[in-house]
This record gives sequence, structure tokens and C-alpha cells, in this order.
Amino acid sequence: MATQYGIKFAIHLITNHFGNLVAKVCENLLRHGPLTLDQLIHYTELSKEQVKNSLLVLVQHNCAQAFVPEPEDDGSRLRIRTEYMALFDNIIHRLRFPKFLEIVSRKLDEECVELLDGLLRDGRLTLKQMVDRASQGKENAVATNAVREILCKLLAARFVERCPAPEPVVSTSFKETTTRKRGAKSAKIFEAPETLEQRVIFAAVPGDGIRFSLTPDTGSNVDGETNSDDAQMSVEENVEFGAEEEKILWRANFEEFIRHLRRKVLVENVRAQHDDGTATVLNAVLEATRTVERKVKMDNSVPLSLDTIVTEVMKTDTGRTMTIDRIRASLGQLGCSQRMIVDDSYSIDLKKIIERARNEEVESIVLKRYGRDAYRMFRLLSRDGDFHDTDQIAASTLVEKKEAPKLLHKLWNDNYLYMEKIPVTGARMQNTSITMWKVNKPLLWEYVLDEMYHAALNLNLRMAFEQEKDEELLNVPKDKLKEPGPLQKKYKRLLNVWLLLGSSLMKLDDALMLFHDF
Amino acid sequence: MSVLAGKRKRQELASSLSATLSNEERVVYNIIRGRKEMGIWQGDIKRETNIPDSLMKKSIKMLLAKTLIKEVVNIQNKSKKVLMAAEFEPSKEITGGEWYTEGKLDTQLIEALSDVCMKLILRQKVSTREGILDWIRKVGTEIFPGGVSAGQVEQILKVLVLENKVQEVNSTGFGDFASVPAGEVCYRLAKKTAVGVKVGAMASFPCGVCPRINACTPDGVISPTNCQYFEKWLDF
Repeated sequence: MATQYGIKFAIHLITNHFGNLVAKVCENLLRHGPLTLDQLIHYTELSKEQVKNSLLVLVQHNCAQAFVPEPEDDGSRLRIRTEYMALFDNIIHRLRFPKFLEIVSRKLDEECVELLDGLLRDGRLTLKQMVDRASQGKENAVATNAVREILCKLLAARFVERCPAPEPVVSTSFKETTTRKRGAKSAKIFEAPETLEQRVIFAAVPGDGIRFSLTPDTGSNVDGETNSDDAQMSVEENVEFGAEEEKILWRANFEEFIRHLRRKVLVENVRAQHDDGTATVLNAVLEATRTVERKVKMDNSVPLSLDTIVTEVMKTDTGRTMTIDRIRASLGQLGCSQRMIVDDSYSIDLKKIIERARNEEVESIVLKRYGRDAYRMFRLLSRDGDFHDTDQIAASTLVEKKEAPKLLHKLWNDNYLYMEKIPVTGARMQNTSITMWKVNKPLLWEYVLDEMYHAALNLNLRMAFEQEKDEELLNVPKDKLKEPGPLQKKYKRLLNVWLLLGSSLMKLDDALMLFHDF
Repeated sequence: MSVLAGKRKRQELASSLSATLSNEERVVYNIIRGRKEMGIWQGDIKRETNIPDSLMKKSIKMLLAKTLIKEVVNIQNKSKKVLMAAEFEPSKEITGGEWYTEGKLDTQLIEALSDVCMKLILRQKVSTREGILDWIRKVGTEIFPGGVSAGQVEQILKVLVLENKVQEVNSTGFGDFASVPAGEVCYRLAKKTAVGVKVGAMASFPCGVCPRINACTPDGVISPTNCQYFEKWLDF
């Protein structure tokens, strides 16, 4: 479920990219959840044509998905009503396109970057459209085979995938239980239920065999894996292959990009906390299990034997210098102690590394906003996760006893701490209570994430404001801006402002992913 | 001095004193002494006896003059001075513990001890708690004339860990850890000490540290377009 400012930020991005009409449709989908076409027309008060076209834009750019709810009883079977849902994650991913392109430019080549750029700009493309795109502005048309080869490379790396089924049938009967769970905000354990969004996405994604396979006739994907179910489907699709290839729509596989970014964050955090050697070991383990990972948010790495890990580590430039003892020590630092190892396989707790990084981000906010004393107290509570009373906190963190309650209340007031008052009944202490404090991480993280979306929206709005303010500069010929004078000074300032706002937004986006996608 | 001997001595002292004290003074003294290291506030004495106010004040003055009792600053409430028999050391609840001097947190002591710990860890790269304590006892007697307890060093290390200046790690026995047996708890400087704590994405621009973010809306009185913090930040 997206947070309040998450939705505002998503709508802002859609308005910027596709205009007000599309944004209005998107806003209603985000706020109300899945809606039918009629409902959308009712809520938006737009014409049927306008809503339809807006939906087409959203689907084209992978920001919305249609699905058919599975009929619950025989009575409703007669009327199949397609519903539409906004894909919040995909909307926010639009902010990250430069990062995705950067990954491909690092891992593959410029031709792949160009093809992916087209997919990101246009949302979904067939092979033919890709060829047309590549041929634009060139004297001779680019050969289909050449483009197919580039696509193949992207598919092999799983950076591109087939578009999901347009209207999967999805059972929605579990809906009631999840809404109830969502309401129980005070619950201490905050288990994220499977959302309808996840169900729809899962139902729409083709099996791995098809998802990354260029040709539907072989039933094998580029990795050479075969899957009997997919093969079955392929036979059906094989009829009239030529026409089929025309129809297949391709798009960027956001999941793979997010997995890449997550892996980078994991490795870099380990490097900062421990050393290069340990980072090398973690990187090798993740690289080796890349294709086996089922989802992005893996709690633990896929178990590997020490032999396999050693082989993988020694494949890398930095790992070649490491001895087995050194590798074992690094695994120890990653939390794989000898006792935990069952049948000689090592699995690294990735969730813990992500948690640590989240803690660091929140702590740095606390330090800057509330000062060093508050920082110590917050870290004490955050690290042990239990309730502590005011005096105990002051004593353990060496904060002046009178100052401690003031700071704690401030943190509580801003939602950074959770507080409970426990009444004390005794002969001499009437009407007194002990105040207990703790850091409730799931709640705090949700709150911080919302603040981050708010901040991201602010950065975006400020960027637009600065641009508007100096609009006349953009109409001035470039030569004039090169001449020294007030115009040049203004222009230089605008460039600096853009650079600062832009880089802050990209850095903030890393934090958004840390709290939402990783 | 054994507990028994101390008790006997106090009893002797009390009996020899009782001869020189007036009736009221004796009653007040006994109440104060009965509270041992917790002491008692003047107002509470009044509630326990029916001695007139002026007489009680006089008695307390006399007892103070005879150095049988003393006044102690109470950390819980500095205006409520606590009276305590001279032979007792005020309890932790009253003084606030070993980090408090005269009812105030002794920040100088904390800073000095933190400094010494950081310097030693910087020099040794990896240190154990015992190592640090031994070193302070060997060379730090001038800086800490009162001496330093093992508990104090332990707490300072904990605070340094909370401040993210020092990391608590288990020795691997390799590299910097070579001097410490593998598996033993030891301390080393946190990596980022040179530049301070790692600044997060939020904390590096105004919104992340904005005290008014909850009041800020796109079209509100406080908004990103009229924000003073932004104005300052983007002033090139």
C-alpha cells in the first residue's frame, strides 16, 4: 500500500510526463484501488473516450494493469467486468530510468543502451517498432537481424522481458482479510500481506521460459532452460510464427534492474562496514546465485557450499588473492557462524544488511534534526528494540537526566519514537506513571518513507519553480549566455541549482528504494 | 572496616553524642540517620514529628554545625536539599551515580575519558576493554585523580558505540585483530570517523532536517516554492 505522499509524488510524476487527464485517471486508481471503466468515468467525470485513452497511455507505459476478477458465484459469471489498477512501483521507477540505462551501459554496450532507451521512452515495443526506431534519421534502414541480436543480448541478461498478459483472471476473494489487517496499525508485528497488486502482477507474468525467450517456437529461453508448461504454450503459439513475432511486445524488466541496484547496495554496505575482502565474497555469492533468485526482496542468499563459494570468489580479480581461511573469516563477518551451518552450506542474512542501512539513514536524520544526545538515545532504543524507561535511557547514554525527557518527547512528537505510560500504584506514589519508550521499526520506516516521498515531491516542485522563474533564460540564444554579464551569472546559478536539486533527488531515490523496494 | 565494626562505632558515637544533644536535636538526628544513604527532605521531617517549625530549624542548624549531618544535592529535585547523617555516602538515586558531581552531569569527566579511550583505540587499532582499563590505570592517574572504575570504562565504550565512533566487533584473529584471540569482543574505530557519521540521503538537504515538514504542502503557507531553507541552500 502506497503512503499518502507516495501517491502524491506518483501523481506528480504522471502529470509531468503525461499531462493532467492521465494523471486524473491515475490518481483515482491509486486512491480507490482497482476500478472498472464505468466507475472510472464516474469518479473522474471525464468522457469515456478520455478515460479510455488515458488508460491506454498508462498501460502502454506499464503504469497500469487490467485484470478480470474471478467470478465468485455462478450468478455473476455472465458479466465479465475488466478492472484496472495502477502499478505504483512502476510509476516511481520512471524516476530511475537514468540509473537503469547506466547499468546496461556498464554491463553491456551502447547499442543495448539505445534499444533500452527506446523501450523506456515508449513503454512497450514490438521488434518491428524497434527496427523502425533504430532506422530513424539514418540513410539505410537497420537490418531486423541486427536489432534482434541486440534484443537477444538484453534478454539473456534479463534486462528486457515480454509484456505480461493483458487481462489475467485473478481471484479477489481474499480482499476482506487484507483490508482488516491493514487497519490494525498498532499491531506490533507488521506482516505485509500479499496484496492484490502482487497477485495481479504474478498472474500476468508469463512463465520464465517464455518471459525471456525471443522466439516462441523453441520453448526454451535464452538460458537454455526448458519448462514443460511453457513448452505446451509455445506449441500453441507456434502456429504462424512470423505473424506472432510481429505481435510480441517487449518492455524493460524493472525487477532485474531493481535486483541489480539492491545487490550493489548490499555489497557497498558490507564494504563500508567491514572491508573489501568481505564485499568481494558477498558479491561472488550473489553473482553465482543470480539466476536462481525468485524475487527481489530475498531475505537470505541462496545456500552455497564453501567449495562453490571459494571457486566463485577466486574467479574475480579481487578475490584471487584470498585464501580459504580468509574467505571463511569473511563469511563469519557476514554472520555465517560455524554453528549455524547445516550440511556445509552457507547462507548470508541479506535482510540484516538492508536493515542496517535503513537504520543508518534514519539515525542520520535524527542526528541532524535533534542533535548528538538524541542520536545516542535513539540508537540505544533502535538497537535493542525493547521498551526502556526515561531514567534508564538517560543513564545508559549519559544524557543529563533533566534533558532526556524533553528530547524523548520531541522525538515522540515527530513520530520517531513509540511511547507508553505505565501507571504505578504504590502507597507513596499516587497518580504517577513511568514513561516507557521504544523504536517501532515497521511503523517508523513507513513514516520515514512517507517523509521521503514528501521530500522528493518538494525537490521536484522546487525544480519546476526554479525553471519557471528563469524561463526567459531558456529563450536567450546560447551565444549571449557565454558573454560575461548578469545574464551569464543568472544562467550559471540556474545550472548549479539544477545540479544540486537533481543530484539530491537521485540520492534520495536511492533511499526510497532502500525503504520500499529492497 | 567490617560492617560489624562500623555499626559498633556508630552506636558508640550515637550514645556519646546523645549526652550533648537537646531532646529535639536527638529526635531530628535519629530520623535523619534512620534514612541512611537516602537522606530526608526538611519538609518530610516536619511531617514525622510534632516539633514546632522554628525549633526544628534551629535543631538542624545545630546538627549541621556539629557536623553530625550534611546537606546533599538531590538530582531529582535540586531545590529540595536532602539532609543525611555525616557518616553515609549519598545513594545513586540522590547523586545520579558516578557520572554526577554536585547534582550535575560531569561532562568534563565523560569527555576526558572518551578522549583517552579513542586515542588508545586509534593507536592500537583494536583494543579490548581490559586493555584500555589497564592502560588508563597505568598512565591516566594524573588525568583521573579519582581513579576510574571498570564499570565507567565499560559505559564509556558503550556510549562511544552508540555515538558510532567505535565499533564493537568479534576478533577474527586476522590482520588488525592479530593481537586479540579470535572470537573475543574488542573495539575499533568506526570507519567513518574521519568525516563524522555517514550523512544519509535525507539529512543532506533541507527537507530531511526540516522542523516544519509536517506543515509543508505544495500550495500551503509553507511550501517548497516559498521555503526559506531552500532559498538559503540554493543561494549560489
